[in-house]
Amino acid sequence: MPRITIDGRPIEVEKGVTLLEAAQRLGVHIPRYCYHPKLSVSGNCRMCLVEIEKAPKLVTACSTEAADGMAVLTMSEKVKTARRDVLEFLLINHPLDCPVCDQAGECGLQDYYMEHSLAKSRFPAEDKVRRQKRRVLGPHLVLDNERCILCTRCVRFCSEVTRTSELEVMERADHSFIDLKEGRALDNGYSLNIADICPVGAWTSRDFRFKQRVWFLKKTPTVCLGCATGCLTEVHHNENTIYRVVPRPNAETNTWLCDAGRMTYKAVQAGDRLAKGVIKNGLIDLEPALRETASRIDEAHGALAVLGSPWLSVEDNAALARLAKDALKTADFSFDFSAEQGVKDGILINKDPAPNAAGARRVQAAFGGTSFAELSAKVASGAVKVLVTEARAAALLKDALKAGGARLIVFAANRSEIPAGAYATLPYASYFETPGTFINFQGLERRTQPAVTAAEGVKPLWAMVNKLAVYSGTSLRLESAQDALKGIDLK
Amino acid sequence: MISVKKVDNRPLNFLERLYLPEIARGLLVTTRHFFVNLFNPKGIPTVQYPEQTLPLPHAARERTRHRLKVRADGSPKCVACFMCQTACPAYCIHIEAAEYPDNPVEKYPAVFDIDLARCVMCGMCVEACPEDAIAMDTLEIPGGVLDRNALKLGREALLRNLAGEPSLKGASNRLANDYLKSRGQA
Repeated sequence: MPRITIDGRPIEVEKGVTLLEAAQRLGVHIPRYCYHPKLSVSGNCRMCLVEIEKAPKLVTACSTEAADGMAVLTMSEKVKTARRDVLEFLLINHPLDCPVCDQAGECGLQDYYMEHSLAKSRFPAEDKVRRQKRRVLGPHLVLDNERCILCTRCVRFCSEVTRTSELEVMERADHSFIDLKEGRALDNGYSLNIADICPVGAWTSRDFRFKQRVWFLKKTPTVCLGCATGCLTEVHHNENTIYRVVPRPNAETNTWLCDAGRMTYKAVQAGDRLAKGVIKNGLIDLEPALRETASRIDEAHGALAVLGSPWLSVEDNAALARLAKDALKTADFSFDFSAEQGVKDGILINKDPAPNAAGARRVQAAFGGTSFAELSAKVASGAVKVLVTEARAAALLKDALKAGGARLIVFAANRSEIPAGAYATLPYASYFETPGTFINFQGLERRTQPAVTAAEGVKPLWAMVNKLAVYSGTSLRLESAQDALKGIDLK
Repeated sequence: MISVKKVDNRPLNFLERLYLPEIARGLLVTTRHFFVNLFNPKGIPTVQYPEQTLPLPHAARERTRHRLKVRADGSPKCVACFMCQTACPAYCIHIEAAEYPDNPVEKYPAVFDIDLARCVMCGMCVEACPEDAIAMDTLEIPGGVLDRNALKLGREALLRNLAGEPSLKGASNRLANDYLKSRGQA
């Protein structure tokens, strides 16, 4: 194993580890544009130049493997000069339209200029190479070739991660620019990652474009609930509005995030968010809606069933289980969802579109209940008069409900989710507004964190269940989400 | 350390301790001012603000009501970069950005509000502006209104050019200027 020193500090690394990675382990940040830990090494931006004692020239830290006895200097005068000069080259043709550029505030050029250069441009603005600005490429991205520094991260992303190879560097030398290959469209389902990995403002997201300056954004670490993969994400929000969702790279699940996952935040801010109850098709206040729902439940005289949902957190499923067991006193409840799981496209998107089938099974293990097939058969036979479930889970029982004619009481966050024929709908706070525990397809526990606050009166689902139980005459004593989790083994 | 200054108060003399003669002396001062002002109103230093204002000394001219500069085609020079809103210590600026379909400068403020009731007239917004788009040189001193809402300036109320403008300065204005030239408007 090679032993090297970086700025005088010794470190021993495995064979094949590059100087940049070795420095990272020591907490030394070497500036870089083209290097990305999950992409192949390109070595074209020259920003990571470091000095090796006794070596005649500076070397790129991203592409030089550590060899025994190397003495690396990352802050010598030679290196500092090199960084300043490389930045001067990169900025020669830069349009300096930071006031209009969405990347401003998280831009590699701005950051490294302030840190390593601060030199005045010696290049007259009139001589700069002019390129096409604002090209809309694909449904999610805008390309500005003038801002591009040709690090080729986007080209490598498309050829190595999505393996669709839509992008290419056209022409050569001073004339080169990033372009779409002829007859191709940039719509590979992961295209917004390009806007993330672009170290400058060349690629910007059409969805986020001009909505908010990045330095106003607050960041909340949470989990994507778009499918059973359960990617770790970060929600960027300001003044109770979510502006974008970006991945939180981690070793277990994800480095990237799919376009569909990034758009999940839209439902939270959609115009059809429920803040009141719905009886048949009419909106009514929450309290009368709960009273009406409770009286329908009482009318059914025990002919009740509860179906959990793989779209709900473990807490909320557990609350539904307690509702069935302790308040409704029925044995007909099921949290048994067995959709096929596994990564569908080899990158991130899961075969199971629901995020928490594994978590629901944990609830089933703790509370018992019937299998999904049995519950479905019972609903279809007409023995169940009232079924309580979540809106998207109700779709799983669609045919059985049609055959059996049970009254459907659902919990829904958005009006568009409400299944046809639902008798009563109760609102609940989405998982961008309330914490929840999910278990992804790998069996890993994932916690969502609230980024924004729900509309007034909209409570988490477990709290709504608690209220509903009170209206039908039983107290479940759920004071917090932790109360609902009692007795459930998450492992 | 707080510095302490000892004041050597002269003890009151007999007449002062009598109290009434001093009252009369005070009234005499007020009465003299009243009659002097009555017969020589031009000597009164007070100004009837807001109907009447004084000419401002030079430095203060740069701290009057804001305006947004206008390009030759009537669009604001502002590109909604949010620098002024970021720099504002009083949180009185509210901007909402939008995108031009054709103009290559791409971005413009669909909403640009300044709440003068909150503004502290510090001029940080002018300092921060990279586009030379906002200025505080209208020589109007805001205030003296009966309704707070009258101090909320919208985009249209702010857009104004002074004589000799539009100026073509500003980082992103190259694009806008080229665009205007191509349409024969500059």
